[in-house]
Amino acid sequence: MPEDNKVKQKQTDVIDKIWGIFISLRLVVILLLVLSVLSIVGTVIEQNKPPQEYYHLFRPETVELLAKLGLLDMYHSWWFTSCLALLALNIIACTMERYPLIMKGLRKPNTVLDEKLEAGLKDSAKIRYSLPSETVEKRITAIAGKTFSGAPVVTDTESGRHFFYEKGKYTRLSFFLTHLSILIIFGGAITGSLLGFKGYVNINEGETISAVKVRQGQNTDLNFSLQCNSFNVDYYDNGAPKDYRSDLSVIRNGKEVIRKTIRVNDPLSYEGITFYQSSFGSIPETVTLEIRGRDGGSLGNVVAPVGRQVDIPRSDVKIEVADYREHFHMQDGSEAGTVVGVNIYRPGTAPEGVWLFEAHPDMNRHGEYSFVVKNIQLKKYTGLQVTKDPGVWMVWTGSVLLVAGIMMAFFMSHKKFWIRMEKDRKGRVEVTAGGTTNKNKHAFAAEVAGLIQSFREVSK
Amino acid sequence: MTNSLLFGISIFVYFFSMVLYVSYLAFRSESLGKVATLTLLAGVVVETAAIFLRWFESYQMGIGRAPLTNLYESLVFFAWTVAIVYLIIERKFKIKTAGAFVSPFPFIIMAYASLTPNEIQPLVPALQSNWLISHVVTCFVGYAAFAVSFGVSFLYLFKVKAETRPGKQEGTFLGYLPSSEVLDEVGYKTIAIGFPLLTIGIITGAFWANVAWGTYWSWDPKETWSLIVWLIYAAYLHARITKGWRGNKAALLSIVGFSATLFCYLGVNLILSGLHSYGGTS
Ligand code: HEM
Repeated sequence: MPEDNKVKQKQTDVIDKIWGIFISLRLVVILLLVLSVLSIVGTVIEQNKPPQEYYHLFRPETVELLAKLGLLDMYHSWWFTSCLALLALNIIACTMERYPLIMKGLRKPNTVLDEKLEAGLKDSAKIRYSLPSETVEKRITAIAGKTFSGAPVVTDTESGRHFFYEKGKYTRLSFFLTHLSILIIFGGAITGSLLGFKGYVNINEGETISAVKVRQGQNTDLNFSLQCNSFNVDYYDNGAPKDYRSDLSVIRNGKEVIRKTIRVNDPLSYEGITFYQSSFGSIPETVTLEIRGRDGGSLGNVVAPVGRQVDIPRSDVKIEVADYREHFHMQDGSEAGTVVGVNIYRPGTAPEGVWLFEAHPDMNRHGEYSFVVKNIQLKKYTGLQVTKDPGVWMVWTGSVLLVAGIMMAFFMSHKKFWIRMEKDRKGRVEVTAGGTTNKNKHAFAAEVAGLIQSFREVSK
Repeated sequence: MTNSLLFGISIFVYFFSMVLYVSYLAFRSESLGKVATLTLLAGVVVETAAIFLRWFESYQMGIGRAPLTNLYESLVFFAWTVAIVYLIIERKFKIKTAGAFVSPFPFIIMAYASLTPNEIQPLVPALQSNWLISHVVTCFVGYAAFAVSFGVSFLYLFKVKAETRPGKQEGTFLGYLPSSEVLDEVGYKTIAIGFPLLTIGIITGAFWANVAWGTYWSWDPKETWSLIVWLIYAAYLHARITKGWRGNKAALLSIVGFSATLFCYLGVNLILSGLHSYGGTS
């Protein structure tokens, strides 16, 4: 053999070996187990938490090491993704390897029960009848037709008349369904992460938005506006929310194109973008404060729209409502009820930011003034999750195919059954029958035995 | 509450069925075996009545929902499905001997459930979905099938060991067991029931998450663990068709798979945290 060929030979050997590894079920088993162990790690170390939580749990060196290894966002790490890619390659290789075999199973089978075929059949039997052949044919095809619905392929040869029945031929495709569907799901997930986005938006009741915040913190403009006409919550007797819903309108070029009331589990979709009811809350619109002087006498009320400076009567001091908490926690952890955060502007000094307690006016003395929170005018807002995922239909298509494929693989099989009718030397009708299947052979053997038993009973 | 009284009775009945199945294996008396099966069946009947009563009572309270939504109710439903799936498998494959390994589950699960809070509570909006029922039912019937396979796989390991040491089997319960091939086959058949159900359970869960929150997969610990369970059983299925992995290793994977299933169901809630409502025992 010339040197050249030897090298080539060696190369193909290596390729064959790699291919052999790729299509081996052992690799599949190991890969699936490795993926499950990695996933376990991801549930033990909580993923994608704010950094301070990790520093709280681990020493700083440990946090840095974990971050470097990708263990704090491992489902997106290069090595986890590589394992998934390897699985995908593995599936592709297996499919290529099995393609010819599966196609062979689909090809037109031998419809004649010849000697060679008969020798290969495990579950077969011969029965002799002393009835006319027309009667035998009529009766046994009736029986076989019940099990294998549909007419048989009938072939006459010099050895006799052959009947061929077949069932579940296309279940041989279950391998493609189960395995390629996983690739379709992967494809859907990749499409979604490349071309889609996930965002979030709060809309005040009666207001309109046309952009949403996406994960990375930037705003994404929508091609339309979304208006929250109203928002409502119902509560159970124990105070837990029972149902919350937003009446939304999609507005395009100044015209309403869709109006829908969304609730949890019932979102609104428009142009591939879906709005999910996610949370709700309220923020103050105006706050009414009574202002008292040093002696405790009232200086009058001011009505302060949030974010706007208003004058304190009979002074050059201004006050601005800037913040609001429904349930304020004191430093010792106790709850102090509702508070309003205000900035007090005195000429010539830096503004002073203080909390005013609605329930404890005695705590609201700041300099020469004390404040009583008289009224907080709230406006409700609805919190919406906003998603665009152009790959999601692939995920569901793949899922349906996956389930169909698994069901087919487990519960169906390709069954073939032959009957040959001939005359023996004494002129009696001789019937030979038998079948094969690709799966669940025990159950099929019992089925064939049952059929043959019924064939025997024909002459009674 | 009358449903709790019935649940209490079913715990006792399950306890007796467990005792009977173990005695059946110890004494190898056919009549004991028959009584064991009938007792388990009685437990199922009582529990079925209890579940429907609880359902009915929730309507009387004006809450009106299927009893499948908190830890207590899920445990009760799990015990119920394990008992039913086992009874079906026992009848179909004639392996009463597995009862000693499977019948403790309904009892232990029910006893554990009785320690968790059991008042009927209204549903938060996210759980008010028809997907909830299909998701929970498919997952739990799948889990139940895995529980049965777990019991059978244990038997398989005992039996295989005994078969390699011939002569010593007669007169012990090992001689009474079906052959290792039959046990292997039943272990596989039950997983072949559980795997598609778990697959549907994961998919319906993902579909529901997508409708409720706008993401079908967020790698929350519960989701991830259900994927882990799924991967282990997928590994089992391929191990079984691989030379050298058939038998022992496959049976071990079935045992590991069910341990992961239990962790997915209880461990995640008790040890890890997540989106799921069964969280903690609150
Ligand atoms: C997550 C990935 C996978 C899943 C969920 C999966 C699922 C399945 C299922 C449900 C079956 C049917 C089992 C049975 O009939 O008993 C099966 C069979 C099979 N799988 Fe996979 N599989 C996966 C990956 C792979 C890969 C990567 C390969 C390539 C080596 C592979 C090769 C096979 C083979 C050769 C069979 C036997 C087919 C037959 O008997 O007709 N699988 N798989």
